[in-house]
Amino acid sequence: MKIKVQTKSGEFEYDCEQDEILLYAGLRHGLTLPYECATGTCGTCRARVVEGEAHLEWADAPGMAYVKQKKNELLLCRATALGNCTLRVPAKVSEGINHDVLPGYRNGEIGNVRLLTPDVMCFDLSLDQPVTFDAGQFVVLEAANVTGGRAYSMVNYRRDTETLKFVVKRKPDGKFSNWLFDRDVEGKHVDVYGPLGKATFHPDDGKNVFCLAGGSGIAGIMSIITRGCEEAYFRDHKGYVFFGVPTVRDAFFLDELSAFVDTVPNNLEVTVALSDEGVPADLEKRFPRIKFGAGFVHVVASERMAGKYDNMIAYVAGPPAMVDGALTMLVLEARLPGTDIRYDKFT
Amino acid sequence: MNWKRVCAVGEVPENTLKKFDVDGLTIVIANYGDGFRGFPPLCPHMEEPLAESGLLEGGVLTCSKHLWQWNLRTGEMVGMAEKPLLTYEIKREGDEVLANMESELVYDYDEEDEMDDDNFFAAD
Repeated sequence: MKIKVQTKSGEFEYDCEQDEILLYAGLRHGLTLPYECATGTCGTCRARVVEGEAHLEWADAPGMAYVKQKKNELLLCRATALGNCTLRVPAKVSEGINHDVLPGYRNGEIGNVRLLTPDVMCFDLSLDQPVTFDAGQFVVLEAANVTGGRAYSMVNYRRDTETLKFVVKRKPDGKFSNWLFDRDVEGKHVDVYGPLGKATFHPDDGKNVFCLAGGSGIAGIMSIITRGCEEAYFRDHKGYVFFGVPTVRDAFFLDELSAFVDTVPNNLEVTVALSDEGVPADLEKRFPRIKFGAGFVHVVASERMAGKYDNMIAYVAGPPAMVDGALTMLVLEARLPGTDIRYDKFT
Repeated sequence: MNWKRVCAVGEVPENTLKKFDVDGLTIVIANYGDGFRGFPPLCPHMEEPLAESGLLEGGVLTCSKHLWQWNLRTGEMVGMAEKPLLTYEIKREGDEVLANMESELVYDYDEEDEMDDDNFFAAD
């Protein structure tokens, strides 16, 4: 099927397969269609059907709150075309996606499943074709018997790789996370679309790095710090990682974070903030490379980062309340320009 | 000209913004230190309520939803903002803030929808 998109920067056309998500088809053809979550929650990919017919896969998606259905609008990330279509997208679009990281479809086999805490697991996906992604990006995973895709950031960083690593927190109403936790998923296959996301780290930025993560939001931050360490970025730049969890029982990756600090102890600092308890007495002895604090992670970061924001770029990932608190802190206290704050909005 | 009293100067402390209803119209007043700006209550991007999502520091208004920013001193867009912030004319008279609210300022997503034919390809 042919999809025409009228945008604020001109008209484009791309091919779309039957039952293919309109956003995914456009992105894999290199169009910079607007999106953030790519899974129906944020509303950023709002568009209008001008000609032809489209089918909305998830009419109750939270992002539909931004859509005027009586004007034939939809979310590109949740809609498929029923034939040739003309769409209007209220944004400037170009054919400028970096083709090194052009998103596409793959299939992955789940392996190396491990529980990190009672409600956090990690696993690897072995892909049928290699993929290249930027540190901080995510993919959408979809299992055959679970409706809808879920976005997860890669923990690892590697170009042209057939292995993606993920960390997933169980959500009470999360169909996909419950499927992962309740079934024996080792060896199961999932569809993969990506890479996606613009909260990415590039050594060319040449700035000090501030990362603020809550819970499984640490995934993309691990990828960023991995790239930074592998490419000796922190030899010449400062790195500050703040990782928030409720209690020490909810913490994970502390050995991996310690190993990062070991490589550049003078320039990389990792602080773990515990929001629901004080810092146990033995914790700093067990993890001497890591600093600890009590309180919400953005509050702990605010206290410890005062005066250190020179030439800084910030990455934020975590639950919505934490992201909101972190953005407020970064705008009002750190006074970072919006262009130096990178996060993917999932709400 | 239809100048209307919006609030007392002291009701909006420096570096804060607050929403007011004036004769059925809603306006957000921001005190950026050197003065006041008045603008419609919703972000021109995705209709976020700026009285809640707006952050004010150094004369720059930031909508925390997608970090669109505007310099309230000059009225210019900053960083990632793609649409200007519509503003009401504001003046101070003694301890009061007044706005020229002859007609309600609305973004094109409300009435003349930006995706309608006539203005879709209009320059921002």
